Amino acid sequence: MTSVKTPPPLSQDVDLSKTYDAVIVGSGAAGGMAAHVLTEQGMDVLMLEAGKKLPIEQELRSMQWPYDHPRRGDAPPGYHSLSFNEYTIRTPPYAKGSTFKHVMSYVGGWGGSDYVKNILVDEKDHPYTGTKYAWVRARALGGKTNIWGRLALRLSDYDFKGKTHDGYGDDWPISYADIEPYYDRVDRYLGISGVKENLPQLPDSLFQRPNKLSFGEVKLREGLKKMGRVLTPYRAGVTTDGLKHNKYRSKCYGRGACDRRPGGCDIHAAFDSPTGLIYPAMDTGHLTIRTNSIAHEVLVDPNSGKARGVAFVDSGTRKSYEAKAKVVIVGASTLESARLLLLSRSPQHPNGIGNSSGHVGHNFCEHVMGPGVTGLVKDLVGKPPTLDDGRPGGFYIPRFRNLKDRQPGFVRGYGFEGSGGFSIFPGNAFGTPGFGAQFKKDVRDHAGAFIGMGGFGEVLSRYENYVDLDPDAKDAWGIPTLRFHYQFGDNEKKMCEDMVVAGREMLEAAGIEVVGTDEKMLTEGWSIHELGTARMGSDPKASVLNQFQQSHDVKNLFVVDGSSHVSASCQNPTWTIMALAWRSCEYLAGEFKKGNL
Amino acid sequence: MSDHRVDPQEGLSRREMLEVTAAALATPLLHLGPAAAPPTTPILQGAPKFFTGPEFALLDELSDLIIPTDAHSPGARVAGVATYIDFRLSESLDADEKVKWHSGLAAVDALSQELNGKAFMQGSPEQRVAVLTKLAAADHDPKTAAEHFFQQLKGWTVRAYYTSKVGIHADQEYKGNVYQRGEFAGYDAT
Repeated sequence: MTSVKTPPPLSQDVDLSKTYDAVIVGSGAAGGMAAHVLTEQGMDVLMLEAGKKLPIEQELRSMQWPYDHPRRGDAPPGYHSLSFNEYTIRTPPYAKGSTFKHVMSYVGGWGGSDYVKNILVDEKDHPYTGTKYAWVRARALGGKTNIWGRLALRLSDYDFKGKTHDGYGDDWPISYADIEPYYDRVDRYLGISGVKENLPQLPDSLFQRPNKLSFGEVKLREGLKKMGRVLTPYRAGVTTDGLKHNKYRSKCYGRGACDRRPGGCDIHAAFDSPTGLIYPAMDTGHLTIRTNSIAHEVLVDPNSGKARGVAFVDSGTRKSYEAKAKVVIVGASTLESARLLLLSRSPQHPNGIGNSSGHVGHNFCEHVMGPGVTGLVKDLVGKPPTLDDGRPGGFYIPRFRNLKDRQPGFVRGYGFEGSGGFSIFPGNAFGTPGFGAQFKKDVRDHAGAFIGMGGFGEVLSRYENYVDLDPDAKDAWGIPTLRFHYQFGDNEKKMCEDMVVAGREMLEAAGIEVVGTDEKMLTEGWSIHELGTARMGSDPKASVLNQFQQSHDVKNLFVVDGSSHVSASCQNPTWTIMALAWRSCEYLAGEFKKGNL
Repeated sequence: MSDHRVDPQEGLSRREMLEVTAAALATPLLHLGPAAAPPTTPILQGAPKFFTGPEFALLDELSDLIIPTDAHSPGARVAGVATYIDFRLSESLDADEKVKWHSGLAAVDALSQELNGKAFMQGSPEQRVAVLTKLAAADHDPKTAAEHFFQQLKGWTVRAYYTSKVGIHADQEYKGNVYQRGEFAGYDAT
């Protein structure tokens, strides 16, 4: 059994009389990284987190067998997780009029809602309005990193210089060479597992021990080689060799818990912000944290127009407070950060702080998902069970479209995530016809013979996809909610059609029989990769932040999360969020010491 | 946690076998072949919480016909499938769902009357299989109330069985949820 060190204690009784060097809003990947970098530079930092500090190991119970849970992992009566059908036939706010006591996003429905019921927000308290959107939020110390999917990918100049490559959208104000050293630091500090592939579109990390592949996955990898495509073991933000410098995290023992639940790792081999970044930052003596603190306004000095702190309300007592700081760092998540900027109206910043460009909330983008294929590996039918799911993930097939080729129907590309082999639950049982001994044998014989994969495609950044504040609707604390004006377009539809065709073609090339295809696009938001609502750029009229995630308008205001991304890429954003935040906060600390902020 | 580990040579370990609440009464079944007579009394500790006694007996029998004991592993009855469904429904706040279970079981009995001239539990083993054969034929395109109920019943039976000790360890012989040390299972990519 593995034990990790208990975290340092937290207190709600923090000193709000003094002026901190920096206040950070949010404690996820972005806020956590900001805390790590700034405290290491000796700055005195206050972090505000809207959610609770949870006894996370007790929430996740990673090794609990289904039969040791009274409801086999389901939440108690009164909890409801939204379904695809509900997101499709209704419009937000989805919990309105619900007879259930608690309503959670679809993530609760993955099997294991009891393990995430205190991590995900209750949709009843956190409404939003506008177009259909599956907005998944986690309010807890560490935010969504407590349950993230762990796929840790780098972006390349196909992304940073996308416009140069294909003419669409805008280039980022940085190139791969600017961020590469920071990706390296994230790899070394947090640990990542994977295999080097030398691909221009998916740069390699500094990898620890890779995950192994299952038999079917090896077969698919071999098949793809003939097509000039690559299947690589899941690049997981998981330390497989351990991290000597971090006493709060264990190395991975391949227990496989991460893929049977909505995520989470109770020995913290998978990266999460609290154990990976925040507790070590607390150990420097420079970090103070206040949880249950819902930030609703970046405060402005009326003389200088600069940020002077953050107003927040305590989620429990509902009392209002102000946190004073010389620098304000926003890392509340792409959509919550945009909301906070828009809420921060003042005579100096009438459209919201940092929003003289009018771009806050706009250029909202993410990944589209849904289409996928399932194959049957005939060689595996009837074979004895093997341990196939003792790892943080299956495989990843990097983007192969619109690199050297030009697709007629769409620009940009997509990758596939997938896995094959035995798992704790034989999902094929639901689709196996019949009953009786033959049914039972069929389920057994085929349980490990399937391989499935689904696409994750780049949703184009478009000005007309945006969020703003609803003029009427408010959350449980009286704070105006977001209103969505966001829809997939024709490029996404064409791309999704191609995913099915390409997925089929790849399985067939590997001699794997295609037994199922999914063609539908899941609701906007489903990938939980929302990005772009406060994008970086060199033109202050067309962007919110400069290349160091510093507001063009307010030089002591930084927005260090996914809202700063100029395009979505098709590669998962978490590692890039952290590499960028590291780079920006290093710059911030330097400017702070020089007295330039 | 290691207490739950199963010796792959033995399938369900002795200790696990005794721990399976429902299996405790039916332990000898584990060593019987498929030809053995099925137990005639439902496996339940105390009275059912949601279903009536006859409803519970019918549900238990239906689940065990869907996933029976065979030479490889015990079936739904030993796994306590009906007991689990009964518990979940007893605390459910979903009134529609509750009604569906009562009326669904009644619909199965009605179909049995139609086919065999008697209630399901009064039928011979062959007559019971005939009812399920008719229901399963419409598995992918249910039309009647009984056919819709069969989908619901089979879905819950699958969920309850394959999350039980019997389903996970004895039937699926699942190898995971263990601390792997040293050499990890699987194949290297390169």
